[in-house]
Amino acid sequence: MTTPALEVRGLTRTYGDGATAVTALHGLDLGFAAGTFTAVMGPSGSGKTTFLTCAGALEAPTHGRVVIDGDDITDLDETRRTRVRRERIGFVFQSFHLMPYLTARQNVALPLRLAGRRADRRRVDELLARVGLADRADHLPGELSGGQQQRVAIARALVTDPAVILADEPTGALDSRTATSVLALLRTTVQELGATVVMVTHDPVAASFADAVVFLVDGRAAGRMEHPSTEAVAGQMAHLDDLVAAS
Amino acid sequence: MTGLALRSLRHRPAAATATFVAVLLGTALIGTFATFVESALHLHGEDRTSLIVMGAVVGGWGALIVLYSVASTAGITATQRTAETSLLRVVGATPRQVRRLIGREVLVVSLLAAAGGSAVAAVAGRVLFGALRDGGMVSDGARFGGGPASVAAAAGLVVLTSCLAAWIAGLRATRPSAVAALRAAEIEPRGMHWWRAVVGGLLIAYGVGAAVVTLTVTRHSADPYDAMSTCGAASIYAGVGMAVLAPWLLRRFSAPVAALVGRTASGHLAAHNAARRSHLLAGVLAPVIVLTSGAIGTLMLVGIDNRTMHDPAQRADGRLINMLNYVVTGMISLFAAIVVVNAFAAVVAHRRTELRRLRLVGATRAQVRSSVVAEAGIVAAVGIVLGTLGSLTTVVPFAVVRHEGLVPDGQLWLPPAVAAAVVLLTLVSARASVQRATRELAG
Repeated sequence: MTTPALEVRGLTRTYGDGATAVTALHGLDLGFAAGTFTAVMGPSGSGKTTFLTCAGALEAPTHGRVVIDGDDITDLDETRRTRVRRERIGFVFQSFHLMPYLTARQNVALPLRLAGRRADRRRVDELLARVGLADRADHLPGELSGGQQQRVAIARALVTDPAVILADEPTGALDSRTATSVLALLRTTVQELGATVVMVTHDPVAASFADAVVFLVDGRAAGRMEHPSTEAVAGQMAHLDDLVAAS
Repeated sequence: MTGLALRSLRHRPAAATATFVAVLLGTALIGTFATFVESALHLHGEDRTSLIVMGAVVGGWGALIVLYSVASTAGITATQRTAETSLLRVVGATPRQVRRLIGREVLVVSLLAAAGGSAVAAVAGRVLFGALRDGGMVSDGARFGGGPASVAAAAGLVVLTSCLAAWIAGLRATRPSAVAALRAAEIEPRGMHWWRAVVGGLLIAYGVGAAVVTLTVTRHSADPYDAMSTCGAASIYAGVGMAVLAPWLLRRFSAPVAALVGRTASGHLAAHNAARRSHLLAGVLAPVIVLTSGAIGTLMLVGIDNRTMHDPAQRADGRLINMLNYVVTGMISLFAAIVVVNAFAAVVAHRRTELRRLRLVGATRAQVRSSVVAEAGIVAAVGIVLGTLGSLTTVVPFAVVRHEGLVPDGQLWLPPAVAAAVVLLTLVSARASVQRATRELAG
């Protein structure tokens, strides 16, 4: 079997200590094969966001390991974690997180610059063309629509050719038509560029664009669904909500 | 609204501190010299004239400077909250309510600060008056006559200004529609109002004009201090004029300076931020220009006078004038420094989410810090060059009039010393603000 692009083993994250401690993740085991598009879903408080911040090297887990493309990044210090983050992981956020004073082209090239690498103009322009914004390269984010800004963010996530792209509710701030086109774009990057996308979402429509859905409940894995449809995912989510309400 | 204002103040003591310090020091300064004027009303002869001149010159300049710094601080504090006030409007606050919220916050802070400043002024006025008597600048028989009236008038003036500034900032924050304001929080307002260009241009023209008048008219005057009175304040006018044009100047001049900052990622970010969002950093550039121009201009003016004035009778006149020059320069420097520190804190606080964003995209904490410090470097460099140019409107004409030639005979160490102090001030205040902001961005 090939090395997964992202793997977490026994991932545990506890906030606070003593009587007030809250455990967001309970020994979570998940693997994401290279070249796949996986949605991570779960009710509020299921640990989706904590999973993403730990897997994305934004914070260190309390216990367990995070392995990216075969390299264990769990015990790295803050500077090395930052380096991993900008070279091995691409991020797409709900609120785009573009720098307001950089043009679309400069935003896409930013991770390369931060890594001290020469920004390859051709590669940046190629990515902008791929996300359908070749003619908007010199615009500032404030001059772009929400959907266009998210496309720039996706191009930025792709620019370092990362092992995995982590998307946090990437369509949460978009209307449904724009959302569909952004999801289709993510789908294309997986199919045509061989990217690996892990997307946290609560939207069954968004999840239906993925190859598979992983469900989380109370910080544990609670099942997996291959080739998800919107209806099946919505049904499973309703079921999980009932489970949580009953417990 | 008052309840909301108080709660909002408790939520952000740092922003209120800036206004508090500016109003406190402002009231203390203007109040102190106001007591001299009040004392003068009970005196006669030369004492009366000296005290009124002192009170009028220092009080007048002081009022201008303090009002500027209070206005800019209160304005910055209100403007940096555009995103939040737009949010309030989206959930249903009327523009009037938002203006009232901002106004009441500033009123509460200013009243407290003015009360403290009045107490300082009452004591400082008495002490300084004693010092003047001991130094022989007023006669031994003169009695201190400053009371609550002068101090209260000074306090009232400062409070009124800060409220006016907050009201204007509130108007600006509520003019566009709520959603437009929310979006605009991220976007650079393009260009400046035409009146701003006119005011800046006129002030610079006035400074240059005063220099020309000194060289052509007052140099032939019988009283050697006539030349000083025409060119003495020229550098300050020119500096303030450039400060008014600061956003435009920063856009123009940041590119060549940015080329010097290097091709590192931090330098790249700093250069683009300085050029594309010059309205933010202009708040820092403005006081840097005034500080540099005023300090170099006035201190070299006094130096030239001390070297070239040998007539003992006129030297006595010169002592009072030069003491006033020092006091005015000291005030300008002090308040400009306060505004620099405040403005940086405000700019960085305003950009907190954006700096966090940089971290998420993969910048190390060191890269975020050095990009903000590089911005400070760009501002300091542009400010020093422009400020030094402005100071020439005072230094060159006065040096020529007093027969030292285009370049004064002494004190050439002064401009580099002022420049070093300005660089230190900007870099340290930038570093301190970003340190505070990035500490909580760990992760």
